[in-house]
Amino acid sequence: MKLNSLAKLGGVALLSAVVLAGCGSKSSQSGSKKQEISWMTPSPIATMDTSKMVDLYSAQIANGTNEGLLRMAKNNKVDPGVAKSYTVSKDGKTWTFNLRHSKWNNGTPVTAKDFVFSWQRTVKPKTASQYAYIFANVKNAAKISAGKMAPSKLGVKADGNYKFVVTLEKPQSYFKYMVTQPEFFPQNSKTVAKYGGDYGGNSTKNSYNGPFILKGWNGTNDTWKLVKNPKYWDAKSVKVNTVKFQAVKTPSTALNSYNSNKLDFTTLSGTLAANNKKNKDYTVFPQASTSYMEFNTKKIPALRNTDIRKAMALAIDKKQMVNKVMQGGDITPKGFVPASMAKHNGKDFATQSYVKDGTDYNLKEAKALFAKGMKQVGKKSLSLTLLGADDDDSKRATEFVQSQLTKLPGLKITNQNIPFKSKLTRAQNQQFDLVLSAWIADYPDPSNFLDLMTSNNSYNDGKWSNKQYDALIKKSESTDANNETARWNDMVQAEKILMNDQGLVPLYQQGQAALLRPSVKGVQAFTTSPQYDWAKASVK
Amino acid sequence: MVKYLGKRIFYIVLTLFIVSTITFFLMKFMPGTPLTNQAKLTPGQIHQIYKQYGLDKPVWQQYLVYLAGVVHGNFGISFQFSNQAVSYLIGSRMGPSLIIGGQGMVLGVLVGLVVGSLGAVKANTWIDTTATIVSILFVSIPSFVLAVLLQYYLGLKLRWFPIADWGGFMYTVLPTLALAASPLAETARFMRTEMVDVLSSDYIELAKAKGLGKVGIIYHHALRNSLIPIITIIGPLTVNIMTGSMVVENIFSVPGIGEQFVKSVLTNDYPTIMGLTIVYCAMLCVVLLITDILYGLIDPRIRLSGNNN
Repeated sequence: MKLNSLAKLGGVALLSAVVLAGCGSKSSQSGSKKQEISWMTPSPIATMDTSKMVDLYSAQIANGTNEGLLRMAKNNKVDPGVAKSYTVSKDGKTWTFNLRHSKWNNGTPVTAKDFVFSWQRTVKPKTASQYAYIFANVKNAAKISAGKMAPSKLGVKADGNYKFVVTLEKPQSYFKYMVTQPEFFPQNSKTVAKYGGDYGGNSTKNSYNGPFILKGWNGTNDTWKLVKNPKYWDAKSVKVNTVKFQAVKTPSTALNSYNSNKLDFTTLSGTLAANNKKNKDYTVFPQASTSYMEFNTKKIPALRNTDIRKAMALAIDKKQMVNKVMQGGDITPKGFVPASMAKHNGKDFATQSYVKDGTDYNLKEAKALFAKGMKQVGKKSLSLTLLGADDDDSKRATEFVQSQLTKLPGLKITNQNIPFKSKLTRAQNQQFDLVLSAWIADYPDPSNFLDLMTSNNSYNDGKWSNKQYDALIKKSESTDANNETARWNDMVQAEKILMNDQGLVPLYQQGQAALLRPSVKGVQAFTTSPQYDWAKASVK
Repeated sequence: MVKYLGKRIFYIVLTLFIVSTITFFLMKFMPGTPLTNQAKLTPGQIHQIYKQYGLDKPVWQQYLVYLAGVVHGNFGISFQFSNQAVSYLIGSRMGPSLIIGGQGMVLGVLVGLVVGSLGAVKANTWIDTTATIVSILFVSIPSFVLAVLLQYYLGLKLRWFPIADWGGFMYTVLPTLALAASPLAETARFMRTEMVDVLSSDYIELAKAKGLGKVGIIYHHALRNSLIPIITIIGPLTVNIMTGSMVVENIFSVPGIGEQFVKSVLTNDYPTIMGLTIVYCAMLCVVLLITDILYGLIDPRIRLSGNNN
C-alpha cells in the first residue's frame, strides 16, 4: 500500500514533470518565431545569370543566393566573402585574394578558377553582357570586349585553387566595392556548360554559393523563395530560414497586403508614402541617387554665365520640392554626391564637401544675381525649354521647377515631357536647354558621380567644363589613386568647385520610403546595389 | 458548313497576318532597344547584343524572320527577361488569365441572363428597377475601381478572400468578380430589352392562348429567342474582359498575360508586346468564330450560308 501510493505519487510527479516539460517546450516554441520573412519587390527577376543581369531587383536576389570575393557591409565597409583576406600591391594594381574552402550548393568546391571563368565569360563579346564595361579597369578587359584580344588574356589568374590574383589597368581604391557586385561573382563552369543559353533561366538551372538557395522561380513568375543554404560557409550565422518574395506592381495592393500581415516589407511611393509617414513601421532608406538639373552650356550662351546658373539654382526651393511635391521618401540634397553613400575616416562625403549656396534657396539673392547675370550677357529676357521624362514623378518635378524658375523676372520656361528613352537620347545629343536628369551609383564611391561632370564624359549632357575640376579628378585617378586620403581630398575639392560654379542644380536625393515590420531585425540596407541583404536578418 | 469554316479560318489567318505586319512595323517606328547602358557599350558589344536579338539584319529580313517565327509560334526573345523566349513567357502566364477570364465571362453572362430575364418578366416592378440599377452601376463602374473596392472590403476589412497573389480557387474569386461585373451588366441590359420584346410578340400570345404554363413559355419560347442578340455581344464582351484583365491582373497580382502586357509596354519589351498582340488577336478571332457558329445552332433561320449551295 505504501509502496503503491508512493508509486502513484511518483507517477503523478513524473506525469506532471512531463506535462510541465511539455508546457515549457511549447512556450519556448511560441517564443521563437518562425524564421520567415515576406518581402515585396516591385519587379520580378529578369535573369539569374550574373553575366547578363542589368537590373537592381535581380541583383538583390543574386546577392542573396551567391557571394563574391567580398560582401558589402554597413558603413561603407566590406566583409570577407569567398575571400578570407586580400592584399593590394604597392602600386595598387595587383589585388591578391586568399579564398576560403567553401562549397557550391551541389557540393563542389568554390575555387579561384570559378572566378576566372566567370569574369572571362562576362567580358568576352560572345556573352553580350550589358555590364561588361564595369570590368573596364581589369587589365585588357576593354580590348577583349572590343573583340581585339582573346578572353584568356584578361588580367585574372588562379594561383592554385585558393588564390585569385587580379591585375588592374590603373590603381582603383574602390575596387573592393566592385567585387561585391553580382557581375564579379564566381560561376560554376559545369552548371553554365550544362544549361548553355538557359543558364540562370529558372531557379534550378543555377548553382549557388551564397547564404540562400533560390526556389520556386520558373523564369517568369511573380513569387519565389530564398531558402537557407546549409552548404554556405557561414550558414551558422544565417538565422532566417525563408525569405518569401512577391512581385507586386500595384502600390495600393502591396499596402493592403502589408496591412493584412501578408507582407513584412513593402515599398511606398507618392501619396501612399505621404499618407503613411506617421505609421510606426515607416522608414526611409536613402539611395545613392541624385536627381538634378543640367544646363546646356554648349547651345545656350547665357547659361555659360555663372551668375545666371547660380540664380536659377537659388530660385528653386528644394525643401518644398521634397516635402510637398515629390512626397515619397526623397531627401533634400547636400550636393551632387548623395549623403550617407561614401565615408572616409568616419566623415560623410556630402557633409565634408557641402557648399551652402549650391543647394540653398534664396529668392531675393536669386533675383539680384539673375539681373546681374542678364546685364553681363546683355539680354533682357531669356526663354528656355525644360526637358523631362513623361512619367508622373518627372511631370511633377518639371512643373514645380518651372513654377519656381519663372519667379525670376525675364525668364520664361516651357516644359517638354517625352518618353524616358527619348529624353536620354536628346539629352546626350545636347538637344535641350535645361534637362532633369538622375544618376544612381553602381558602387559607393564619389567618383561614380564626379566622373560624370568631367569635360569629356558622355553623360555630361550640358557640357559644363572646368579645367580645375578636370585636373582634380584626373589627379584622383592617377597620382593620388593609391593614397586614400589625398584621393578623397581631391574629390572633396572637385565637388566644391562643381557646386560653387553651379555646373548643375541638385534637386533631391532619392530615398526609398517603406514599411518594415518591427519584428524583422537585422536586414541590412545599402545606398547602392544590392540595396538589401537578408543574410543577417532574423524575426523576433 | 465545312466550306464556311474553311473560309472563316482563311480570314482569321489573313487577319492575323495583317495584325502581325502592322504591329511589327509600328514597333520598328518606336524608340528603344534592348540596350540598357548604350553609352557605355562598345560598338562591338552593341553588335553582339543586336545579333542575339536578330536586330543586326535589315528590317525586311527581320520581318521575314519574324513572320516565319510567328508561323511556328516563336515570337523571339524577351528584352525584359534576358534568357526567356516570348512564347514560353506567354505560355507560362496564359493559365491564370484563362481561368479568371473564363470564370468572369461564364459568371457574368449566366447571372446577367437571370437578372435580365427577371427584369423583363417582372417588368416595371421593384425587381425590374433593382435589376436596372445594378446593371447601370456595373456598366458605369470601371473594373479597376471595382477591383480596388473588392480588395479593400472583402480582402482587407472582412478578410474573406486573399488580397492578392495566386494559388488556388480562393485567389481567383475577387479577380473573377471584378471581371464579371461588366459582362453581367451588359448581358442583363440586352436580355431585358430583348425579352420584353419577345414576351409581347404574337407567338407568345399564342402559347399563352394554348394554355401553356408561364415557366414553360419563358423557358421554351422566350428565352431561346432572346438569346440571339446576347450571342452578338459575346464578342465585344470578350474584348471587355481582355482589356479589363490587364488592370485587374495588376491589382490582384495575378501572374497572367494581361499584367505582362502592361509591363511589356512600360519596359519597351517589343518582342513580348508583338507576341501578346497576336495572341490576343487570335483569341478574339476564335471567339468570334464560335459565336457565329452558335448563331446557327440557336436560330435555324440563320443557317450558315454553305447550306444553300
